Amino acid sequence: MDLALIAWFVFLSPLIAFPLSYFAGLKWKNWSGIIASSSIAVSLILSFILYLYYSVPVHSSYNWFYSFNYGIFVDHLSIAMVMMVSFVSLMIHLFAIYYMGKDPNRHVYFAETSLFTAGMLGLVLSSNLLEFFLFWELVGLCSYLLIGFWFFKPNAASAAKKAFIVTRVGDMSFVIGLAVLYSSLSPLTANPLSIPFLINNMPFVLSVLGSGKLALVSILFLGGAIGKSSQFPLHVWIPDAMEGPTTVSALIHAATMVTAGIYLVARIYPLYYYSGPDVLYTLAIIGSFTAIFAGILGLVVNDIKRILAYSTISQLGYMLSALGLFSVIGLSAVGYAMFHLFVHAFFKAMLFMGAGVILLTLMELRDVKRMGGLWKRMPITVSIIFIGALALSAIYPTAGYFSKDEIISAAYVYMTSSGAWYYALPWIFLTVGAFLTAAYTFRMFFLVALGKPRSELADHAKDPSILVLLPLIPLAILSIIYGFFRGDFLSYLGGSNNLYVPLYIKYLPLTLALLGILVTYLIYGRETWMHMDLSKSRVYSLVKNKFYMDKLFTGSVAERGILPISGKFASFENSYNTDVEKLGRHALDLGTAMRKLQSGVIESYFALIILGSAVVFIIALIVGVI
Amino acid sequence: MLMMELYIALFLLSVVTFLSGKNAKVYSLAVSGAFLLIFLFYFSYRYWGLSAVHGTLQTIPISPAYGFNFSLQSSGLSAVLVVIATFVIFAAIFVSSGNYSQVFYGLIMLTMSGLIGLLLSANLLFFYIFWEVVLVPVYFLIGLYGNRRSDTVSLKFFVYTHIGSVLMLLSFFSLYTYYFYETNGSFSMSISSLMNPALFETMPVFWRGFVFFGLFVAFLVKLPSFPLHSWLPDSYETAPYPVTIVLAGALSIMGGYGFFGILLPVVKVIPQGFLLALIVLGIISLIYFSLSAMSQLSMKRMMAYASAAAMGFVTISFGSGAIELQNSFSPSLYNLAFAGGMYQVLVHGLIMAMIFSSLYYVTKSTGKEMIGSLGGIFRGAPVISSFLLVGLLASLGLPGMAGFVAEFSVLAGIYGEIGMWILLIIFAMLITASYHIWMAQRTLFGPYNEVLGNIHDAGASSSAILTVMMLAIIFLGVFPHSVFELFTNYASGVVIP
Repeated sequence: MDLALIAWFVFLSPLIAFPLSYFAGLKWKNWSGIIASSSIAVSLILSFILYLYYSVPVHSSYNWFYSFNYGIFVDHLSIAMVMMVSFVSLMIHLFAIYYMGKDPNRHVYFAETSLFTAGMLGLVLSSNLLEFFLFWELVGLCSYLLIGFWFFKPNAASAAKKAFIVTRVGDMSFVIGLAVLYSSLSPLTANPLSIPFLINNMPFVLSVLGSGKLALVSILFLGGAIGKSSQFPLHVWIPDAMEGPTTVSALIHAATMVTAGIYLVARIYPLYYYSGPDVLYTLAIIGSFTAIFAGILGLVVNDIKRILAYSTISQLGYMLSALGLFSVIGLSAVGYAMFHLFVHAFFKAMLFMGAGVILLTLMELRDVKRMGGLWKRMPITVSIIFIGALALSAIYPTAGYFSKDEIISAAYVYMTSSGAWYYALPWIFLTVGAFLTAAYTFRMFFLVALGKPRSELADHAKDPSILVLLPLIPLAILSIIYGFFRGDFLSYLGGSNNLYVPLYIKYLPLTLALLGILVTYLIYGRETWMHMDLSKSRVYSLVKNKFYMDKLFTGSVAERGILPISGKFASFENSYNTDVEKLGRHALDLGTAMRKLQSGVIESYFALIILGSAVVFIIALIVGVI
Repeated sequence: MLMMELYIALFLLSVVTFLSGKNAKVYSLAVSGAFLLIFLFYFSYRYWGLSAVHGTLQTIPISPAYGFNFSLQSSGLSAVLVVIATFVIFAAIFVSSGNYSQVFYGLIMLTMSGLIGLLLSANLLFFYIFWEVVLVPVYFLIGLYGNRRSDTVSLKFFVYTHIGSVLMLLSFFSLYTYYFYETNGSFSMSISSLMNPALFETMPVFWRGFVFFGLFVAFLVKLPSFPLHSWLPDSYETAPYPVTIVLAGALSIMGGYGFFGILLPVVKVIPQGFLLALIVLGIISLIYFSLSAMSQLSMKRMMAYASAAAMGFVTISFGSGAIELQNSFSPSLYNLAFAGGMYQVLVHGLIMAMIFSSLYYVTKSTGKEMIGSLGGIFRGAPVISSFLLVGLLASLGLPGMAGFVAEFSVLAGIYGEIGMWILLIIFAMLITASYHIWMAQRTLFGPYNEVLGNIHDAGASSSAILTVMMLAIIFLGVFPHSVFELFTNYASGVVIP
């Protein structure tokens, strides 16, 4: 069986569906969703075939232009990833048939989401970093279009712009990385940006680049990953990106967009562990800091989708920091990160779709403080959200417990492996993060589910038909049981699970998570929070303003930095322009003055001739020609 | 073969446009369309899959004793640029509203034949003549059909470019004279014998500097590069849209062709100071034009600056590639930089043609050109808006579109020379992305500006031409290989390391 051909069709199938669902949808609106979903079902089936028949890495490569190739690279990592992406994306598409069912532009929506999925699948299967970058940007473009899907909403238009520009910052860092890598390797190899070449020939690459340059390249690629996976400080675009349809948020957060950054680091992981402990520490510290930072922000947000958005940022931080723990878990670091990525994809897609159901019944009312009492009114939906919340908070025995707490344990070993104080930071951050995760998740959950309805809409909420919720069921099951397959998963990705930590360390995150749930129950499960007035608190306002990060970017950098500078340039340009014209006018004036000499009076010409000859004669005398 | 006959036919048919009366648009559309197909097939046949650098040289002697000949010779570079220039001019005629007289179309056709003559000319004298032939009709096009301040602007355009061409002519004649001394009394004006590194190597340093100075100024004016650019925003803004398309899409090729078509063979002997200046000017242009563009209030003017900024990549790639070559870097670097620069010349024409065409349709349907007076037009005119969005995305260098191939090749090719100065270019690229996307947000998206009333969307013909442009841009972005290989072959063929 030709696995390479199958791999091509894994991402070609939704790519073909992109124009198909659009043009079919022009005439028969309802068909577009069906076409898009079935194309992704095809991808899912094909990736299963890849999984079943895979024996050795498949690498097919063709010349794209100059010394850049394109092609397919299939190994365990990419097979696992395409299965996850196509599965989660399929569930979201099926749900979107219902969710977007009344939107007049749903053919555009489905065309764009299938392109989105195609981009992600292509990225996963890329055999060359430049090809990878092409799909990387395709994914970015689709997220731009989909965040701005309701383009007539000013917020959506500006959120789309913000997402594009902020991720573009990371992308540019990626591009410099590619340029540095290319310029160092191209004199020596024919195909310097090929992924299999890079990950199999690291000693050679290291000897050519030297450790400093290799570290530079790794950090530049990390910059791309930070932008895409919305890590600190480029996390600012994700909460605003909630302006798109909720199914788009589910896609972005679970399957197709933010996971790309983590996947990039995992894909070229040898580059990172050859770059030395400092680069790996950078991964660990950025990830763990983002985990705690976003967790704190998640505590004070009232928009249900934004809470989920901050939780994504925080969980991605866990994945990134797992990748930084190479020194203690070796190549299993990829498995640790990818396992959490998978589990997170399952429950986060489910949570977003659950939130989507709520938003649909509540007419896009997103403020959790105006919900309440929904568990009684929408039992099935809210129960599914409850499962998601448990998995997100990493409560035993949900899959989240297995995926996340192991990362925290590894961080503990990482701390003990070195004497330096700063090696303790990842573990501390991640552990506190466990508490925060449970706290913000259950704050949201209790506000949504318990108490009395706090708005008219919440009072009349109803579960939709069970048919609609069907796509959420497999995700819910996986969120519960997937943890037990952790060992198999790790060994499939070439890692192992033999980490020993003391029991009190092992159960510390779980204890903290339970504590977090308890605390939030005391405050938000009952109606204590209604009597709390935090608005005077300095800390609260600091957090509420997102540590002024957004203000820093949009205010200080964009509005008070770039724009005035641009205005200065433009006004300089204007005055330069008028100066040039003035210069031209003076030249014309000179011409006018000269014109007066041509008076047409023969006598004056004659006088001038004599005068001129005299001057020439005198000069000749002085020079000594005569 | 055939080239000379084809060219003379094109020139004569272009002149006939002035006599074509009411059917001028149809006539010129037919001629340019026919020549587009002819050139496309001819050059595909000539160059596809072959590693040929130059076509056959064809000469009509005029005064051979003095080296004045009318001779044409295509190269891998000029073949592609001829096709793209013909296409852009065809598109410009296609989108023009048909209310114009035969003089308008005659001038455009004359511009086209001048431009193609310039790209194919193998003789410096005729290169110069065609350079001027292009200038004059455009002067009249802006002056006669321009909107605001058309007198001043057209004069400025003319004087500005003319200063460049006079210096260029001086350089050519210095070379001509030096050749005469060097060969003890024989004359030549042919590019292959004058643009010869061996000739330059014996030349006194000052003389050499003078020659390069004249050529650099002429090409930098035409490109344009900071600080020789101030003709550009005004001309683009004042000219009617079809002429803007010609200016931005077709005439912008001239400066780039000057560097890669004329100067590339002697790249080895260009003083490094000149090359460094070129890089610096390129980087300044990128940043300066991008920042100036961001604050523009009119879409047309903003895109004029975007067009100027994109040409920064051409100067940077030429300068850095040349320095890499002189410092004997690996050919895999400088050939990539050169080919990237040529690719930028090519795709910039195409992308700008697309942007200005869709801006034209936006203006036609809404009657507005200022960013502030539009808003949310995606609702009323989704088709035009989508095309404009595609153009904007291509212009900011999104992968999958042609601009990215050029920009990435330049970046990867020049990093070896400029190192972390690349951050300045990246900064400019970020600014570029920002103002493109910001403009899209303010004009296409957001709430609909009800003042606009009911706007109509693009018709079938406008969608057709924009679709062709879009497909060409995507094709060159996804399958760059065939054209890119022509450029790399050309670069490695004419450059003598």
